[in-house]
Amino acid sequence: MARTDGPPVVADAGPLIHLDELSALDVIGDYAEVWVPEAVWREVERHRPQALQHQGVRLVKRRVGRVPERVKAVAALHTLHMGERDALALCVAEAVGVILTDDTAARLAAKTLDLAAHGTLGLLIRSVRRGLRTPVEVIALLEAVPALTTLHIRPSLLNEIVAELRSEWRVSGR
Amino acid sequence: MANMIQAEVPERLWRQAEALVQQGWASDLQEVVNESLRRYLESHQDVLAEQLIREDVAWGLRGED
Repeated sequence: MARTDGPPVVADAGPLIHLDELSALDVIGDYAEVWVPEAVWREVERHRPQALQHQGVRLVKRRVGRVPERVKAVAALHTLHMGERDALALCVAEAVGVILTDDTAARLAAKTLDLAAHGTLGLLIRSVRRGLRTPVEVIALLEAVPALTTLHIRPSLLNEIVAELRSEWRVSGR
Repeated sequence: MANMIQAEVPERLWRQAEALVQQGWASDLQEVVNESLRRYLESHQDVLAEQLIREDVAWGLRGED
């Protein structure tokens, strides 16, 4: 599917790293632009530099200016790291409504700021809806999460989700 | 019962913690460490994480973007 003409999204490090660990960064390739705050860029550069070289995703490094006071307050309340705080600040300052993050605290902070937050699992599942991947491919990727990625998720929860998706998409088990 | 821990803290974080105590925002470094840990644990509860992941799955399946 071609890139949308829609608004950009802002990314925290988690989904960029985890999707690249799965060789599935292309599932965010249909976003017009994925804005990456400088602090997040440095974090990804340190842990998974190849994620920043993906040809199919338009990653744009963005400088974050003054952090809005309400973002500072929410970031302190949720003990966010600089990257997470800057990603939220970029959303608020530039009126971007979506942040991509796997961090629970950052997701809570996003809710407080009335932003939508989506993570690696949601983005993988969305790729079926967007026609980028098949259900069978996405189920295989989800099952590979514990072995191939640094994303932390309780194994039994992941198994429940996979079972629900198999049922939803009518994909038989192994 | 209290437990003892030994941990390495980056210099910058340590200076910020000390400044909080000196400015009177916390009674001592023990309070800063306890409060930091409490807040971190509050925002990383398993039940919260699970709820947010389930919301993400629902969006992945039926979101409108």
